[in-house]
Amino acid sequence: MVHQAFKLFESLSVWENVVYRREPRRGIFVDGARARAQVEELARRHGLPIDPKARVANLPVGVRQRLEILKALYREAQVLILDEPTAVLTPAEVSTLFTVMKSLAAAGCTILLVTHKLNEVMAVSDRITVLRDGRVSERLVTAETDPDEIVRAMTGHHVTLQIPKKPREPGKVKLETEGLVVEQHGRRVVDDVSLQVSGGEIVGIAGVAGNGQSELIEALMGLTPIAAGTVSLDERDVTHESVAAHRAGGLSYIAEDRARTATAATASATDNLAMGFHRTPPIAVRGLLQPQAMRTWARSLIERFDIKIASEDTLVGTLSGGNLQKVVTARELAHNAPVLIAEQPTRGVDVGAIAFIHAELLNERDRGHGILLVSAELSEILALADRILVMYEGRIVAEFARADADEATLGLYMAGGARV
Amino acid sequence: MTVAAEVRTHLTRHVGPLLPIVGAVAVGFGVCGLIALWVGLRPSLMFRQLIKGAVEGPQLFETVARAVPLVGMTLAAAIPLRAGIVNLGADGQLALGGCAAAIVALYFPAPDFVRLGVALAAGMAVGASYAALAAGGEIYAGVPLLLSTWLLTYPAKGLCGYLVRTSLRDPLTAWPSTSRIAVGARLGSLIPGTPVNQGLLLIAVVAIAVIFVDRRTSVGFELRLRGLNERFARYGGVSLRRQTLGVMIASGAIAGLVGSIMVLGSQFRYTDGALTAPQYSWSGTLAALLAGGEPVGSVIAAVLFAALQTGGFAMERSVEIPRVLTMVLQSVVILFLAMRGAIWKRP
Repeated sequence: MVHQAFKLFESLSVWENVVYRREPRRGIFVDGARARAQVEELARRHGLPIDPKARVANLPVGVRQRLEILKALYREAQVLILDEPTAVLTPAEVSTLFTVMKSLAAAGCTILLVTHKLNEVMAVSDRITVLRDGRVSERLVTAETDPDEIVRAMTGHHVTLQIPKKPREPGKVKLETEGLVVEQHGRRVVDDVSLQVSGGEIVGIAGVAGNGQSELIEALMGLTPIAAGTVSLDERDVTHESVAAHRAGGLSYIAEDRARTATAATASATDNLAMGFHRTPPIAVRGLLQPQAMRTWARSLIERFDIKIASEDTLVGTLSGGNLQKVVTARELAHNAPVLIAEQPTRGVDVGAIAFIHAELLNERDRGHGILLVSAELSEILALADRILVMYEGRIVAEFARADADEATLGLYMAGGARV
Repeated sequence: MTVAAEVRTHLTRHVGPLLPIVGAVAVGFGVCGLIALWVGLRPSLMFRQLIKGAVEGPQLFETVARAVPLVGMTLAAAIPLRAGIVNLGADGQLALGGCAAAIVALYFPAPDFVRLGVALAAGMAVGASYAALAAGGEIYAGVPLLLSTWLLTYPAKGLCGYLVRTSLRDPLTAWPSTSRIAVGARLGSLIPGTPVNQGLLLIAVVAIAVIFVDRRTSVGFELRLRGLNERFARYGGVSLRRQTLGVMIASGAIAGLVGSIMVLGSQFRYTDGALTAPQYSWSGTLAALLAGGEPVGSVIAAVLFAALQTGGFAMERSVEIPRVLTMVLQSVVILFLAMRGAIWKRP
């Protein structure tokens, strides 16, 4: 198994990483010389050039991945699982990897490649299994299929949720980014993203999870440093300002991880719903909390959003996913902010809560507020968005008006298909 | 809601969290009882001596006098702990604060009572600044607070030790220390004939202020929620850096105040090592841990520890049981409390 995030001892050398837990021994000592020779021989045999004495911390990611594969081969693995192996590689490293994969397969190894990129599937695989919502939706033979058929199997033919929508009345641009870049470990995870969200519209960002959406949103909120480009709210530059400044400038934010980020599980609903309102009247007057006002506030939100909870004192960690998501949605909508960022607002919640949250989001739009909606669910994007951007490998690769978008086209762009 | 349900909610919210603490204290006493049996003493006798030594007659005032610095150092530990961060450098802030207070009380040219006030303020300011330095280490240089606070302890103690051996040295004493502070610039006795001084009032004010801020202000709300989930606090717009700085300044100021109270109220001079020898900062950290940083619980735990320690000294004198046993008791209580994740949360 080669994980997407490498599992290596960075401070140790290549050979030590390879032989770890299966060291050649001489008495009670590790036989270093023999281990190095074995690793060298293994690398040569499989055409994976690497210096056994190099320190892992000094290696580029492409070589680290080679090392991960060597680790598996040293254990005489017959089946090699590669989980999104190209996510961290440069194009040149990708083509080297593909060569290695093909030669390993030719040597009798079975390779299971997990990827969401169409071109990779078409380039190296023999057979394809498509997963959708945790189920196998199609089994294909690469030589007999084409990208379109794979995309159809990936996106399926959902019955698009039809929610009656009023015609869009876009207002002024509220949130704008120019050439936004976020770097992690020297890679551009968000690459030159420019987008605008106006009042009265829902802008959807479609994309397979892990293509830079989370990093983009964190950058928009001031949660992660921005390497280049600008973010402005209502024409005011907030690029390098704090989260508090972003919120004060008119952003509110439904974070994707409701249990770890958007709530405190061991705090009461009262506390969770007061967060963000805890410095201003009626919750706080001159820095003093008003316990009665806090309770009234919590009760009114619980009632308005129909949150199933024993009382406002109940710890929110005890709530179901749908009710917890309603707590988050209630709080963020209560900010009445000109722009709402909704990240996976209905992931893993029940159908009733989905309908409720969708209706609330549309309602927010009709009140003239802008919404930036990030979702891995195409049906959600298609049901709610007025404009749709597709994100792939950190870049916005396509933009559609809702009327011009359909699942097949979006799916093709999401899988990088437009580049095949 | 029915009455029964209301009672149940009340119990789970207010009594439930206390159960592990009561259990851990009970186990601690049990273990110490067993140790007493093992060495051939009646546990009942031992505990009676312990309790008598803590609260009987004049011993009660000894306990109160000991509780003053201990409660102070507990609060210095509890404030950061409430937000989930740790100040391991309270000893350094304590020593510097005490030393600064001594210098002002000895050499600042002003009327006595002004000098006293300035000395207390200087102790707090120096403690706060030194803690802010450690916070700065984390915020601007990436040194983990655990390390920056802890390691800055030694230069602080070293500097004070150097000063009292050189320019501040009172040549008449055998031990490196400053001269004696004039009576007028001392904190007076609160209850004549006992070691309880006016420092009690200062620490009481601090404790009430800390409890009030924790329970009733926006600042306390942010602190508490950061302790419960730091990611949530950041997401909600709490500036963690500014908060870390604020928390450390408050914590260091209290540690500095405790040092000043010890110097101005009971020792009347800064003596090398005398402030840190009783290890109030460690006992304080333990008491704060016992209460999970919640200030009311922390104060109660600190008073309990003060009683245990005074009782331990008395027990050692009267029945020749070494007072290390009270340290065993404290440690066992904390260990069992730390285990509560495993023991108490099992379904």
